[in-house]
Amino acid sequence: MEYCVKFCVNDEPVELTVSGSQTLLHVLREQLGLTGTKEGCGAGECGACTVIMDGQAVNACLILAPEANGKVISTVEGLARGEELTPLQESFIDHSALQCGFCTPGMLMSAEAMLRENPTPTREEINRNMSGNLCRCTGYKKIVEAIEDVVAKGVYQK
Amino acid sequence: MRDFVYLAPETLEEAAALKLEHDDKAIFMAGATDVIIRLRDHLIAPDYVIDLKNIPDIGSITFSETAGLRIGALATMTQIATNEHVLRHYPYLAEAAAYVGGRQIRNRATCVGNIVNASPLADTATPLYCHDAVLELYSLSGCREVPIQEFILFVRKVALNPGELVTGIRVPYLPGAMGIFRKIARRNEVDLSTVCGTVLKTDNGWRIAMGSVAPTPLRLPKTEALLNAQPLNDALITEAAALAATEVNPIDDVRADRQYRLDIVSYLVRDALTKLR
Repeated sequence: MEYCVKFCVNDEPVELTVSGSQTLLHVLREQLGLTGTKEGCGAGECGACTVIMDGQAVNACLILAPEANGKVISTVEGLARGEELTPLQESFIDHSALQCGFCTPGMLMSAEAMLRENPTPTREEINRNMSGNLCRCTGYKKIVEAIEDVVAKGVYQK
Repeated sequence: MRDFVYLAPETLEEAAALKLEHDDKAIFMAGATDVIIRLRDHLIAPDYVIDLKNIPDIGSITFSETAGLRIGALATMTQIATNEHVLRHYPYLAEAAAYVGGRQIRNRATCVGNIVNASPLADTATPLYCHDAVLELYSLSGCREVPIQEFILFVRKVALNPGELVTGIRVPYLPGAMGIFRKIARRNEVDLSTVCGTVLKTDNGWRIAMGSVAPTPLRLPKTEALLNAQPLNDALITEAAALAATEVNPIDDVRADRQYRLDIVSYLVRDALTKLR
């Protein structure tokens, strides 16, 4: 069954025909070409598909495409302004908080959602907030440090 | 996943009528964190998926001392884990909600969904069992209330009639109650419980519930009766911890074997009694 959905991705309004059994993840990647959002497990365990929907970090693999109707969605492509990276993205580079990079878009979106809600998380809060994002390369230390550095610089404000 | 018709009713009447009409061919969803996985894995293949999220007035969390806590059907784990009333009067329920999945899951998953899903290891079940929580059900023929222990019948079996849906959970207020929720899992975050449990000390005695140790979450009435019959001391704690393990009937599975779960039940009871005495 097909549905017409309208939603906003990275400040751009889109209008699409989707099937009920598609997920938001597949719509983003295959219909909109936003391939920064990754499919890892497809079951809500790894966080590689994390996007921000109506202000909340969510797994795009666990959202049906028709549910996106009327929503405001940010993907990793929506972070940078042209060539200008966000402080969080710069910090990931500065700290070498990535190796293969597959988990990085999800890590960035989880951290971004957390920092918008809580600009001064403790290390414990960072660890708990990021627990839904798996990384098989870095051992997480550099990722946490990259986030802590942004916190220390006071980039985000409530 | 197999294609289906996605329906998003805007009233309870409409939702109940659709479910009544399509019955076994339809499934309700709210946070859908379990439903979508089951669709994807072809464990279910409904013709209709009925999304409840566009129905107003079933998402709120309210509290009063007389009415207790009411958790609306659409209230998410994040909302429960951060709600001031839950944190103040039911901190063990907030704790249980705070350790379901990761943040992305908690932003979507609902407590009502956790209960309707009827997994033996549902994390929010044991605090609700200790409070004798009551499910509020709606259908076109009327509303009714069912105590949680009578609602969850078996693994993934609940006492819903055709065309019936859960609109909320009422959790009676127990003034002065102090409790501990513990989840034992292979890792601290984003894992299913190997055993989970809640021990509650109330003005009228002890209440204990355990999860992942039987086909449904369980209260432990014999252990509660033993504890309520005499003052707590070291010998009684030891006796209660041993008795608790006789009231559960866990299985061996990928997460742990039966004996480990029996030992953990004793440990959780002993540990909580020691901390709450």
